Amino acid sequence: MSRKLKYSIFRYNPVDPDSKPGMQEFFLQETENLNLFVALNILREVQDPSIQFDFCCRAGICGACGMVINGRPGLACRTKTADLPDQVSLLPLPGFRLVGDLSVDTGSWFRAMNEKIRSWVHTDKEFDPQEQEVCMDNRVAEKIYELDRCIECGCCIAACATAQMRVDFLGAVAMNRIARFMIDPRDKRGHKDYFEVVGTDQGIFGCMGLLGCQDVCPKNIPLQDQLAYVRRKMGWQALRRLMPGQA
Amino acid sequence: MTTSRPACLDWLQMLTGICLVVFMYLHALFLASIILGPGAFNSLADFFEKYYLAQKGGPAIALVFLVHFFLAARKIPLSSREQKKFLSAAKMFRHRDTWLWMVQVVSAVVVLLLGAIHMWVVLTDLPITAEKSAARIQTGYWLVFYMLLLPMVELHVGIGWYRLGIKWGFIKSAARHRAKRAEYYLTTFFILLGLIILVRFLLLSS
Ligand code: HEM
Ligand code: SF4
Ligand code: SF4
Ligand code: FES
Repeated sequence: MSRKLKYSIFRYNPVDPDSKPGMQEFFLQETENLNLFVALNILREVQDPSIQFDFCCRAGICGACGMVINGRPGLACRTKTADLPDQVSLLPLPGFRLVGDLSVDTGSWFRAMNEKIRSWVHTDKEFDPQEQEVCMDNRVAEKIYELDRCIECGCCIAACATAQMRVDFLGAVAMNRIARFMIDPRDKRGHKDYFEVVGTDQGIFGCMGLLGCQDVCPKNIPLQDQLAYVRRKMGWQALRRLMPGQA
Repeated sequence: MTTSRPACLDWLQMLTGICLVVFMYLHALFLASIILGPGAFNSLADFFEKYYLAQKGGPAIALVFLVHFFLAARKIPLSSREQKKFLSAAKMFRHRDTWLWMVQVVSAVVVLLLGAIHMWVVLTDLPITAEKSAARIQTGYWLVFYMLLLPMVELHVGIGWYRLGIKWGFIKSAARHRAKRAEYYLTTFFILLGLIILVRFLLLSS
């Protein structure tokens, strides 16, 4: 027998002056292999066309469908209803600007964060299209790729009580980005330069090791180990700076 | 330019934390000598005083304790807006490690108060003897006092080293669940040991 699932969905439209924040209930019969992406689309098609939520790739690639599912930040498209109880509560990710209902603006947050930590390969090398490409050691390439799989879904920020408490905290996603450039041989920046952007209380030293980030990341990025790596490197960098004759 | 201050304070927080963890576990093991009898306890206490470990080490630990408190307090949300944010985040997200942090904050406040009282009372009444300690605990008031302090200290210290390991990477993600289990066992062990010590003091006839 298939179950009838109850969905409690957060409703609020900030641009409508009459709209009040609250939860609205919907019922939907569960079908085989149903995931939240499909369920929400059915609800919107047949029950209430005004529900706002974001989707794009429906395959855990674009990071648009992050939301709080029964208290846990996660991707709707990667959540099977079979893994959920009969009642499903859906909230927008906290810590981002609310667009409406389940839709939040992660884009501006991520853009600001990436600008703050200067999230690009810094190099003086002139690009020469004729030249043969420089080969990267395969092990290094794979290590970078592992960290580069972040889809900027924002779940780690929503799950981080530190980030929720301190709005200027850059979060695990930023430390993971920096770790990725630290191991990239093409980036000419040294630990001295990285220290400038993350050797702060808004950066790595603000992290209290609560590991909400690690436990929700839908791409299973090893955030815990990256955070510790950045903390050790930045910790040593601070000591190095205290030595006489060092900048 | 970014200052080195946050980094250095984080180092200090870690180092004072490690000192206190090691101290607390040793402290419990030394106290456990009472299980062997007041003779063993007193000769251990004599030894510490002969080498001025109690007279000098005591205030040193008190200083480390104070420094650690001031460093860690930077992380405690002081404004009610931040407290509310943390609470609502923790409530929404039923997540063990996030709750453990709240346990750490609450136990820290208790340990700060009771720990300071305890150190004051013991260190201003040197030498330490089994008889004096037993007399204190047998008043009943101190028994209640220690029954509260004991679990709070052990929780704080246990969660403390686990968190330090996570933050600095002594505990890698592959070892996290084993480390957490070890933390629970160790904390339980030391609480039980503490209770046995208290009962032993309680039953010590003067
Ligand atoms: C150097 C300073 C310290 C000395 C010499 C010392 C010594 C003692 C002694 C002799 C006792 C037995 C009870 C008594 O005599 O009243 C005791 C119990 C206790 N102390 Fe300390 N202590 C010190 C610091 C601390 C600190 C900093 C803490 C907490 C962070 C602490 C937590 C406790 C607890 C929880 C008990 C009860 C333990 C049990 O029942 O096993 N002590 N301490
Ligand atoms: S690190 Fe993980 S949880 Fe955070 S934004 Fe990237 S993919 Fe999402
Ligand atoms: S370890 Fe905790 S405090 Fe640090 S970024 Fe992750 S969730 Fe936030
Ligand atoms: S829709 Fe793209 S990640 Fe879910």
